[in-house]
Amino acid sequence: MRKIVCGFVFLIVFYSCKHGEGEYHGVIEKIEAESENYHGTSISSEQYLEDIKTIEISEDGHTFLIPDRKGQIKSYACTECHTQPLAKMQSKDVKKAHWDIKLNHANENTMNCVTCHNPDNMDNLKSLTGNDIDFNNSYNLCNQCHTKQFEDWKGGAHGKRIGGWAPPRASLTCVNCHNPHKPHFETRWPVRYNTQTVKERD
Amino acid sequence: MRRFKVLKSLIRDSLDTITHGSRKYHLWMAALTFIMLVGMYCYSIQLDQGLSVTGMTDKVSWGLYISNFTFLVGVAAAAVMLVMPTYVLKDIDFKQAVLIGEGVAVAALIMCLAFVIADMGGPSVLWHMIPGIGVFNFPNSMLTWDVLVLNGYLFLNITIPFYILFRHYQGKKSKKSVYVPGAFISVFWAVAIHLVTAFLYQGLQARPFWNNALLGPRFLASAFAAGPALIILVLAIIRSYTTFKIEDKTIKKIAMVVTVAAQINLIMLISELFKEFYAPTHHSESAYYLFFGLDGKNALLPWIWTAISLNVLATVILTFHKLRNNFKVLFFACFILFIAIWIEKGFGLIVPGFIPGPYGKIAEYTPTGIEIGVTLGIWALGAFVFTILAKTAIGIEIGKLRYKK
Amino acid sequence: MSNNNKKWFSLNLGRKDKESSGSCGCGKTSGGCGSHASETTEMTDEAFAEAAINASIGEERVKDGFEQVFDVKMDRRSAFKKLTASLLIGAGAVSTSCSMISGDESKEKAQIDWEEQFKGNYKLMTDEEKQATVDRLMRSYELRTGKNISMSSKNAEDDVLFGYAFNISKCQGYMDCVNACVEENNQDRDSQMQYIRIHEMKDGKGFNFNEADDNYYHEVPAEGHFYMGTQCFHCDNPPCVEVCPVQATWREADGLVVVDYDWCVGCRYCMAACPYDGRRFNWSKPEVPEAEVNHNQHYLGNRLRKKGVMEKCTFCVQRSRAGKNPACVEACPTGARIFGNLLDPKSTIRWVLENKKVFRLKEDLGTEPKFWYFMD
Repeated sequence: MRKIVCGFVFLIVFYSCKHGEGEYHGVIEKIEAESENYHGTSISSEQYLEDIKTIEISEDGHTFLIPDRKGQIKSYACTECHTQPLAKMQSKDVKKAHWDIKLNHANENTMNCVTCHNPDNMDNLKSLTGNDIDFNNSYNLCNQCHTKQFEDWKGGAHGKRIGGWAPPRASLTCVNCHNPHKPHFETRWPVRYNTQTVKERD
Repeated sequence: MRRFKVLKSLIRDSLDTITHGSRKYHLWMAALTFIMLVGMYCYSIQLDQGLSVTGMTDKVSWGLYISNFTFLVGVAAAAVMLVMPTYVLKDIDFKQAVLIGEGVAVAALIMCLAFVIADMGGPSVLWHMIPGIGVFNFPNSMLTWDVLVLNGYLFLNITIPFYILFRHYQGKKSKKSVYVPGAFISVFWAVAIHLVTAFLYQGLQARPFWNNALLGPRFLASAFAAGPALIILVLAIIRSYTTFKIEDKTIKKIAMVVTVAAQINLIMLISELFKEFYAPTHHSESAYYLFFGLDGKNALLPWIWTAISLNVLATVILTFHKLRNNFKVLFFACFILFIAIWIEKGFGLIVPGFIPGPYGKIAEYTPTGIEIGVTLGIWALGAFVFTILAKTAIGIEIGKLRYKK
Repeated sequence: MSNNNKKWFSLNLGRKDKESSGSCGCGKTSGGCGSHASETTEMTDEAFAEAAINASIGEERVKDGFEQVFDVKMDRRSAFKKLTASLLIGAGAVSTSCSMISGDESKEKAQIDWEEQFKGNYKLMTDEEKQATVDRLMRSYELRTGKNISMSSKNAEDDVLFGYAFNISKCQGYMDCVNACVEENNQDRDSQMQYIRIHEMKDGKGFNFNEADDNYYHEVPAEGHFYMGTQCFHCDNPPCVEVCPVQATWREADGLVVVDYDWCVGCRYCMAACPYDGRRFNWSKPEVPEAEVNHNQHYLGNRLRKKGVMEKCTFCVQRSRAGKNPACVEACPTGARIFGNLLDPKSTIRWVLENKKVFRLKEDLGTEPKFWYFMD
């Protein structure tokens, strides 16, 4: 009798022990172990990128897509208007295009228009050392100063992913979020206010 | 076959007993029925509109129902304090009281189950919980343990007295070998229902107020104070309204049980307060809210301080033999002790667990009228069930109800 | 999931062995085949009840989920089930189907309601059963509103474990994520249910949630404040899953902690167990204006809920299992939210975990959230 009771109690206790199904001590360990033989998935976010014209870039082993920039600039190529030196264009009676751009990016000692734009070749940007940088690869211009952000962007910690989480990776480039002439984010009102929560806490 | 006949006769006789009585009895039953109907009406509103008619929110997601459930588990478990001396320790003093105690347990358990169902968002899919046809998350979920132990305890507390009464009804003696094993099991079971219910809360790492090792033992102590206190009051009422004989020494012995339990409860309360307030941490905020209020939110303050002072007062009264042996004082002490523990182990335990919320937000909880209506209705149901059970049992025990061949 | 043992509730409501007269041979799992109503209009009540039951069982259907459910021999156990069933809604359902015999559609509606009431736990269903319930729900929506929804029952993909990272330095508190989440996930508009909370914290106070405001309304970012979002963290060791008495919530293979809204009994134990305020309860019937309903749904995700059930963030399972980012990630204008596959060593989320200084909330509780915070 006593043996049966003891056995029963043991069984209950044994059955009640719930730890043991977990193979790993933590989720990081699990991720490391299970990703060792990662074969890829059938899920792709390609279909969500169809509407966006992208170009592929490869930087330090990170290869991903960024949106095409030139097609997005309204009056590209610049040389379609900028056929003459700037001084001459200002005096003439042509329609004003982007005369209202005020540079609000670093201070005057650091930057002015020609830090990035090449007055001799409007169709390209220029690096600090005077080399041409394609408008599509404008991140190369930004990363001259913003090296930390560039590192994060390449890895994916900075910037915004588009399409989906699944490969192929497509990320917005610097100028998609930051206006290069005025790169900071504006303050604005939150889009939502929960009046119900306020009531609950009164 | 004969047994069925006896059973039929028993049911007929008991129906006869419970429908006859003094004017006071009828008034009592009518009042209970009325309250139950009001409760049912309130519940129908809740069923129709959802739990939004209660005061509960995403912040405080358990309220009056679960508080009462928790408290009543304690009351139910208390029957064991009468069962043990009678059946196990062979102290015949309690024989008279024990049937009443078990009746209280049955009523309390029915109320427990009713409170749980009232608290459910989807009572129509409750069958999902029935083992076999639903999915029963055993042993992981403490709630499934609770379902098992509560129903098991209910079964034990129905079968043991039923067996004894059934024998007595036929004028036979009840066989010890049949009911004593059941009584033995029910002793352990009573502790189990209480610990399991405490574990329900104790096991939640999300709620530091509950996640402490003393919760279970303190549950037991307070239950063994509040439950027998209620039984003393019930016995006092039965003694004065029926011819059922309950000796003074029975009540005195139960009073002793209440006293010891109340004293232990108080010691544990001090230990708990010391832990929370001597070196207060981030986890003491709920206790601060309960006892002193947080950020000007102090809805529970009057309640908990009433409870604490009643608790201390009752324990002091009970501790002195002179006072305890004076029945008028004893009944008063039992009453205030019952109220004190109802507050403390009810919403004094459940509500602060949710305040402040996981991210420190304080949203208070006030039960709505509908919630209170349903709660009263369920209490009336418990009283109703108990009255029926007790009236039949007393009828059999004093020999008024006997099987006629 | 394997098929070989019986894992869930099944019901045999007096299934007859005889062949029916081919009244329902269309083989559709959810569509009405139109022959029931005309046949049953002149039956006696008793015969009608039988026919109604037959209709709900669908004798000659393809071997779908419900075929399997109801295809058990009547024994004492199923007789007991039958009893339980009839106690619960039997009377109601039969009376509905009896009183509306005139319309084929209402007949079908009653049939769907009946089958939905007595279906099993989604977690334990086979793929066919999942498809069947999704088909029924789509058809039911069509019958009720005349509009079509697309509902998926897509399972977790192999080699996927979803994870999330939140850049505290980048969040500006615009709450675009909250907006997108509500619109995507069909949350109750009346109670303004929101899965995401953005906490406005004071600089220099650390992560002091007590002094944070999660319901601010002023121009953001406010001077001297930073913002931190919380939602369900999809813990790898979720306490909410442990405590559920009916296994209505569980962790999927891809790490999502999901709820079967139809299996949930509404006890709210999971809510008490969650240390992260990740769960929401439908205290009343959730209301979403028809024009605002997101019709791209998943059974475990944003399909319309009923009152008295639990719900929560699912990392937008309807989107994430299709390769998209959750709505909050897509809506965030600052790129503070990063989502991806933790098992893909080349994913951006992995890069963040390996190269940034990440931490999680209340790590000491051992819940192993798959939601990391980091700063620039």
